[in-house]
Amino acid sequence: MASEVKLPRLGQGMESGTIVRWLKAEGEEVAKGEPLYELDTDKVTQEVEAEASGVLIKIVVPDGEVDVGTLIAVIGAPDEDVSAILEAALSGNGGRAEAAPAARPAPEAVAVPGDGAATEPAPVSAVRASGERVKASPLARRIARERGVDLSAIAGTGPEGRVIAEDVERAAEALVAAVPLAPLAAPAPVPAEVEVVELTSTRRTIARRLTEAWQAPVFQLVVTADASELVATRERMVERLREGDVKPTVSDLLTRLVASALVRHRAVNAHFVDGRILRFPQANVGLAVAAPTGLVVPVVRRADHLSVQEIAAARADLVTRAREGKLQLADLEDGTFTISNLGMYAIEQFVAVLNPPQVAILAVGSIEDRPKVVDGTLVVAPTMTMTLTCDHRAIDGSEGAEFLGTVEAFVEAPALAL
Amino acid sequence: MPELTYREAVRDALAEAMQKDESVFIMGEDIAEMGGSMGVTQGLLQEFGPTRVRNTPISEAAIVGAGIGAAMQGMRPIVEIMYEDFLTLAMEQLVNQAAKHRTMSGGQLKVPLTIRTQGGAGWSPGAQHAQQLESWFVHVPGLKVVFASTPEDVRGLLWSSIYDDNPVVFFEHRTLYPIKGDVPEQLAPIPLGTARIHREGEDVTVVATGRLVHEALTAAEEAEREGISVEVVDPRTLLPLDAETIVGSVRKTTRCVTAHEAVTRGGFGAELAAVIQHGAFDWLDAPIERVGARFGPLPFAPPMEQWVVPHAEDVLEAIKRTVARG
Repeated sequence: MASEVKLPRLGQGMESGTIVRWLKAEGEEVAKGEPLYELDTDKVTQEVEAEASGVLIKIVVPDGEVDVGTLIAVIGAPDEDVSAILEAALSGNGGRAEAAPAARPAPEAVAVPGDGAATEPAPVSAVRASGERVKASPLARRIARERGVDLSAIAGTGPEGRVIAEDVERAAEALVAAVPLAPLAAPAPVPAEVEVVELTSTRRTIARRLTEAWQAPVFQLVVTADASELVATRERMVERLREGDVKPTVSDLLTRLVASALVRHRAVNAHFVDGRILRFPQANVGLAVAAPTGLVVPVVRRADHLSVQEIAAARADLVTRAREGKLQLADLEDGTFTISNLGMYAIEQFVAVLNPPQVAILAVGSIEDRPKVVDGTLVVAPTMTMTLTCDHRAIDGSEGAEFLGTVEAFVEAPALAL
Repeated sequence: MPELTYREAVRDALAEAMQKDESVFIMGEDIAEMGGSMGVTQGLLQEFGPTRVRNTPISEAAIVGAGIGAAMQGMRPIVEIMYEDFLTLAMEQLVNQAAKHRTMSGGQLKVPLTIRTQGGAGWSPGAQHAQQLESWFVHVPGLKVVFASTPEDVRGLLWSSIYDDNPVVFFEHRTLYPIKGDVPEQLAPIPLGTARIHREGEDVTVVATGRLVHEALTAAEEAEREGISVEVVDPRTLLPLDAETIVGSVRKTTRCVTAHEAVTRGGFGAELAAVIQHGAFDWLDAPIERVGARFGPLPFAPPMEQWVVPHAEDVLEAIKRTVARG
């Protein structure tokens, strides 16, 4: 019995998606749960798994944007006749699929073997057939993954042509130097003319939402906190790690402290939607992460209920998947507040743009030893500057200041957050 | 800092434990008047008398078995097995008895027994008196396994082994007895399960045990002249293993060579390689190289013996393979 593969609704409000590429070729076997194709929504690019096992008989929409519910492929037995399904679907498939030229299949291309007994073995997917496995060291593979370098484009200098770390680093540097604007995954010679970069739907979403956010009347509040206790607390936690624990970062502690402050100042833990303010009982803290395809903000849910160790584990998982482009829509939803930390880039302080419909965002700078006056004496202490951007439609200056004051107090004495 | 030979450092740890603690005593073949076949226990009979420095019959099973009994009765015996090749005769006692009593009694019994032994090639002892069998014992839950490579380490590790409540198989290397090294003024116990970084480096980690620690240090100096920076780590305790230090080192250098005098196949280097590849997989930039003896009984003829066991040049070649270019 053939099963129809339709574009699923992966999150609230998703109306359409863009098929980036198929991970299986027509004729190839696919098992339920295996990644079948890559889908670009307005929030993430993610792999979608097959919901049935069998042979991928027909890809109806090779790529392009389609509406939710559109038939995009058919999975069935190797010799199954699916022409009826295809005809029915094609007459019903909406305009979006028509808009993608590649989505219009030629009827004669429908691969329906007439003689089941003579069925050929499924052809190997095009990716595998053309791409011989690249010999690369595990370290080289990790660096390539992290820096978005295509291993197959690198000539290895290790034994037997193995790609080693040095080769990837050299390629990554050349890539950055040569084509700073091009997507990292496609190294190309320097173009002679102006290069036009089409926006991915993630990038389009970033552009649209941040432009919207810019319309909001905002104000900023700035505090500089002494981070000695924060750093010391983290060190004590690191000393007591058990095997398998993720090492907590300063950001993880900050996530926990901010979450505690949010539930004490719910005016800040809110959305501004359709002229109403929604104040939330729990703090779902979004973390701004630089992913290869652009900024994403995965959410640590119920951060006010989690231990720092639990936050560290959740953060490690989210950041890893963000960098690998494997976030799911659910990872990005329901944030009530966002932290953007550029401390690791040695940025002292900066102003973050609102992440609507949230009403506030905290921009965190680096922890450095800086001069500080204590009781009239100049001392050196590790300090950290935090800038809170508030949507004035929802928050007044005093509310923002009280929240930021609590965050500062918690940073300087983390035990107060208990 | 005083300087001791490896042999003196072993004797020093034995003597100090016996001075301090009536429950410590030693026994083994010819260890009393003769002072042991390697001269390690010379003088101890005069100092501590025949009840605490006891000669035994030529029966390794009896030596270890008596040690187990004494240990379970509250003593801290140290038994000497003249050559580690002869541990084969005491395997039943070691593997089925010593290693098992603590757990099988639900913790009611303890076996604080130290089994000192020695082995190693380099002086034509032939195939039955020079094997390196330490990896066999790493496979037995309930035992601890120590292999010390310097005077300081052998003194501090022997002390910790004597005072460990589990049976410890304590390997010494025949050719290391005469080497000299600084030791702390006061005997400093070295916890079991802590590796020692002998030399820091950036490009390759050599994890070496026993005599090969010294060969690795020589190879590292040679490599440095050729522009390769080598870190040398000695696990010192094979069981329990300080995986954190070893994996951490390889994560830093991204390449690794394991080195021991035992035959490569099924040797401790195999266990190290498995632990390292798992802990440092995404940091490895080259396959882990193993250095060990060729797979054959050790020949008596000196040139053949030298050909079979590994030396600094074998470690150096392995180091170069890890940084090789195609």
